[in-house]
Amino acid sequence: MSSIAIEGARRSFASVLAVRDVTLKIEDGEFFTLLGPSGCGKTTLLRLIAGFAELEAGRISFGDTRIDTLPPHRRNIGMVFQNYAIFPNLTVAGNIAYGLKARNVPRADVSRRVEEALALVRLTGLGERWPHQLSGGQLQRVAIARALVIRPEVLLLDEPLSNLDARLRVDMRGEIRQLQQRLGITTVYVTHDQEEALAVSQRIAVMEAGRIEQLGSPEDVYRRPASLFVARFMGTTNVLVGVVAARQGAHMDVRIGTTTVSLQAPHDMRGGDRLNLCVRPEALRILGIGEGTKDGEIALAATIASCEFIGPLIRLDLTLSDGSPLKLAMLDRPLHPAAAGDRVSVAFGVDRVSIFPQAAP
Amino acid sequence: MRPLPGLNLQVAPLARLPVAIGAIAFLFLGVFLVYPLWCVLSASVLTADGSALTLQNYAKVLSRTYYRASILNSLTIGALASLSTTLIALPLAIGIARLEIRGKLVLIGLAALPLILPSFVGAYALLLLFGRSGVITQALNAWGIPFGSIYGTPGIVFVYTMTLYPYVLLPTVAALKAVDRSVEEAAESLGSTPARTFRTVTLPLVAPSVLSGTLLVLIETLENFGVPAVLAEDKTILAVEAYKLFIGETATNPAAAAVLGSLLIALTALILLIQRRYIAGRRFATGARRVPPPIKLTAPWHILATLYCWGVVLLALVPFFAILTLSFLEFRGPVLHRAFSLGNYAELFSTARGPLANTLILASLAAGLAGLIGIPVGWVLARTRSSLTSVLDVVSTLPFAIAGTVLAIGLVIAFNSGGLVLTGGWLIIVIAYTVRKLPFTVRASSAIVHQLDPALEEASVSLGVPPLVTFLRLTVPLMLGGIVSGLVLTWVTLASELSSTVVLYSGPWRTLTVVMFQALEGTGAGVAVAAASLLIGIALIPVLIAYRLLRANELSML
Ligand SMILES: Nc1ncnc2c1ncn2[C@@H]1O[C@H](COP(=O)(O)OP(=O)(O)OP(=O)(O)O)[C@@H](O)[C@H]1O
Ligand SMILES: [Mg+2]
Repeated sequence: MSSIAIEGARRSFASVLAVRDVTLKIEDGEFFTLLGPSGCGKTTLLRLIAGFAELEAGRISFGDTRIDTLPPHRRNIGMVFQNYAIFPNLTVAGNIAYGLKARNVPRADVSRRVEEALALVRLTGLGERWPHQLSGGQLQRVAIARALVIRPEVLLLDEPLSNLDARLRVDMRGEIRQLQQRLGITTVYVTHDQEEALAVSQRIAVMEAGRIEQLGSPEDVYRRPASLFVARFMGTTNVLVGVVAARQGAHMDVRIGTTTVSLQAPHDMRGGDRLNLCVRPEALRILGIGEGTKDGEIALAATIASCEFIGPLIRLDLTLSDGSPLKLAMLDRPLHPAAAGDRVSVAFGVDRVSIFPQAAP
Repeated sequence: MRPLPGLNLQVAPLARLPVAIGAIAFLFLGVFLVYPLWCVLSASVLTADGSALTLQNYAKVLSRTYYRASILNSLTIGALASLSTTLIALPLAIGIARLEIRGKLVLIGLAALPLILPSFVGAYALLLLFGRSGVITQALNAWGIPFGSIYGTPGIVFVYTMTLYPYVLLPTVAALKAVDRSVEEAAESLGSTPARTFRTVTLPLVAPSVLSGTLLVLIETLENFGVPAVLAEDKTILAVEAYKLFIGETATNPAAAAVLGSLLIALTALILLIQRRYIAGRRFATGARRVPPPIKLTAPWHILATLYCWGVVLLALVPFFAILTLSFLEFRGPVLHRAFSLGNYAELFSTARGPLANTLILASLAAGLAGLIGIPVGWVLARTRSSLTSVLDVVSTLPFAIAGTVLAIGLVIAFNSGGLVLTGGWLIIVIAYTVRKLPFTVRASSAIVHQLDPALEEASVSLGVPPLVTFLRLTVPLMLGGIVSGLVLTWVTLASELSSTVVLYSGPWRTLTVVMFQALEGTGAGVAVAAASLLIGIALIPVLIAYRLLRANELSML
């Protein structure tokens, strides 16, 4: 096991810069996720670590050892592929033993370690089966066992769950995380599913167009997105438009529609600047009649446009006084009957607002 | 990955194996294909002593009506044969793809057979049946029915049509089956009648496949040596004239042979270029999600269609059955007697045991070598994309457009003297065979590799197995079924190779096809018929054994 250090990694395909000068450090034993929309370069970055794509610039080390100069078969990685890549001409046991044989592990040890690996992924007794006799979830486990049995320094997974159905995906991600914690193996996990990333990762790197937009804990990237892109990518968010009316020291007055609120000012904001204010639907609440705002809360007047009941949640589409839309989500509570056309006050804490300079429309 | 000493160049870790394979392939094809062709070209533009560039040779050859006629004849016959092949094969393809013809599976298996049966033998059978002293001609004459000549254009075009129609048939059937039914339904929902839909929607969709098959037929006819050698009589044909000028019973004239050879290369290469650049790439991959249902015809039409399909397919096989039958009859000199006899075979085995062994040995060695080079090259072409691999792609397809006689002439010019002398031995024949079949093994291999998920190889490498070992231990076993059938087909077609053998063979290295070729001029018709039957057997038996491994679309790549 070891940490992974990536310094200034760059890779392009023809005219596309798939990975642009990425620098990051993944700690020993960490569960690290690369997250981003399709085509942002996640797979390419993972393949740079594995050695299936070559660096144009930069370097990659495991611990203190530089590995980007090694061919992939000498890097001692365990890799799990999106479509499993189970060898169809070998049995389950044969697949798992494949890497051990390449390392000239003695025969007796091979069968023992294969058994252990099968037990690890809860497939004991299926060693003699052929791949076509297994279900998707079982194949996924074989792929994981095959990658882990060689005791790799790092484990690389490229969208390992995307071929499974939604239920199984949730189960398997928990299993992978538990296994990883038990073994303490440094893991790089690629996904485009933000919920999956939030659920399993210790840290997440959100990528966009070959760059890392934000690197942080799941809470960080969800609650304190570093850019409008991250805010939008990590889940539904309201993007309000505001104008800085005045700035006094660390505070500023921001006009949103017809309301003016006082907010903490990022240091580069000046009077007249236009802002985007992001606030998640679940950070909003509807004020009861006569109920005032709490300390550090802002209230806006809105009209309910429509109301959607989806079981655990109620989702409301609201319209602010200037006509801009606002989404609100709350846990299903029978006491809050809301109907289209109602005029309500909506409150949210200033600490739940992320402020960015207005993006080009 | 250390920088190479003295070079500030880093070889990619993954790319090393493809680079090594590519280097070996370039070396082989460079020495045994490009260099010999270069020799042919330069022989055609150099003065006799090789000291100066000249167009004299071209002027001389082209000033003779005899040789101008050979170009014209080759092109006329090629055009007629491509046209008739397409006209025969298109309805057949529609029948096989869209009608409920009885015994369709057997039909398509039989329809692919002409690809492995030697066209040279087909021509020979025609000669034995309809030639001046042919069995049927004589029977007809005896009844007082006059029979025209099958020599020259009609016979050659007929044989080409009957042996080459699968080149158009198989891709057309595949294309017809790939047409998405909903496209046709869309046309019909817009008020088009089924017949009009077929004409305005379906046919245009399959046209590129048909046309690309037609052009392949044209190339084959231009470079074929065996069929005109048997049937042309006094009609001059480019590939045959080049051979005569080079081997010549009277005075040989290598420069003039090189001129005809170069012209032939230019023609076939141009057609191949058109086929690859403008047509093959234009196939509409509609990828049928729903295969069109069979077309329903009224009973009389259906019977007619069935008769047509079976008729064409069986007619194409008749010459081969005829040869098999004739081989058990008694020949006295060139004259046939209606009596059962194993004499032909007895004579063949007593006089031609050597050639039989040669055929088997040379074909086996060459098939092995073509596999050894072609399979890794096919893997490289399927797995790596770079400007170098596109060059490799072109160079390894090139032999397809090079007439066997011309390649052989080039090999003789190139390796007759100097550092590497190969003429007169077996190796030069094996090399010629290997070069000629390389396009097939390469394409067969890359087609198989395309169906293998590249992640499998990456998974193996990520588990610590080096790329070369991965290729040998994982990729090759996964390709095995396809490799075996590809090699069987290569072997089978090599056993009946004539056009380069006839230039390259020397005393002890005669093959069965050479025996047949020589028998044409002499008296040994009985031996020739037995040899032809043996060739048919050699072609059919492994194919029948490996039938389950073979797919008709592999045959179409031959
Ligand atoms: N082999 C290649 N040749 C050319 N371009 C490539 C190649 N591999 C990746 N790219 C390009 O590089 C960019 C990043 O691709 P990459 O596969 O890393 O994306 P990704 O984030 O994994 O996307 P996805 O979620 O769709 O898998 C894309 O624009 C892609 O088109
Ligand atoms: Mg990807």
